Amino acid sequence: MEKDLTPSGERKLECDDVSKCFQLLESILDGEVNSESKETLDGKLAKCQPCFEYFHLEQAIREVLKTKCSKQPVPSELASSIRQKIEEIK
Amino acid sequence: MSEVQRKKYSEKEKTNIFDNEFMPHIDSMYNFGYRLTFDEDDAKDLVQDTYLKAYRFINSFEQGTNAKAWLFRILKNSFINEYRKKSKQPAKVDYQEVETYYNSESVDHSITSDLRVDAVKDMIGDEISNALNSLAVDFRTVIILCDLEGFTYEEMAKILDIPIGTVRSRLHRARNLLKDKLRSYAQDMGYDTDNED
Repeated sequence: MEKDLTPSGERKLECDDVSKCFQLLESILDGEVNSESKETLDGKLAKCQPCFEYFHLEQAIREVLKTKCSKQPVPSELASSIRQKIEEIK
Repeated sequence: MSEVQRKKYSEKEKTNIFDNEFMPHIDSMYNFGYRLTFDEDDAKDLVQDTYLKAYRFINSFEQGTNAKAWLFRILKNSFINEYRKKSKQPAKVDYQEVETYYNSESVDHSITSDLRVDAVKDMIGDEISNALNSLAVDFRTVIILCDLEGFTYEEMAKILDIPIGTVRSRLHRARNLLKDKLRSYAQDMGYDTDNED
């Protein structure tokens, strides 16, 4: 299904520089870019459909990785066994 | 381990650093070890080994700097030097080749256009974990460090001994591979991932 945009076209359907834009979006999501660029980001997302989609998809993936990735419980004896070994080499 | 800035900590200081700066990271360390080896015993050995090395080389740790990154670097090196050598892991993939392939713009575009945000959000933890675990270890590692452990690119560069530019590009490629996996799960879930009609 085509993304249904208004006839006037609120967002461009093609991004002029996918590689560069996507890399910038990733750096922003990873917290590597300062707030000044975040304003540029809002403008960009409002104008470019591929960037808009990419940003939200990347954001969703980071979110599920952070919240849903199963965590392994640490074996209860691990910490004490480490301390014991440290005592031995002291 | 480097000889620079070698300090002399007293026994009391050593214990203090070990207890207050090293041990609080045991949970993250164990999970990192487990995600590298997929084996509880190997993960335990790796973590224990890391903490022993950390104690032995405690004088090269500068108090007040990032202990977690320092520990992760030791664990990663132990994994490469000891575990990976004796494990029955498949032969090393030529990452350069993989990375070159996944750097092309056409790959970028096709991947983004047909995986939906809704489908990603509906995935369960097992699917996310399986997708992550299916990636080759170098790609898996950068995602773990960045997204699960919250390290900065600079910290990752130090942990992995690679330039920041390589961190950025490897992460980008790792995420594309992950999206590939997630897309195939989405298709199995019955999400229409193609925009053909």
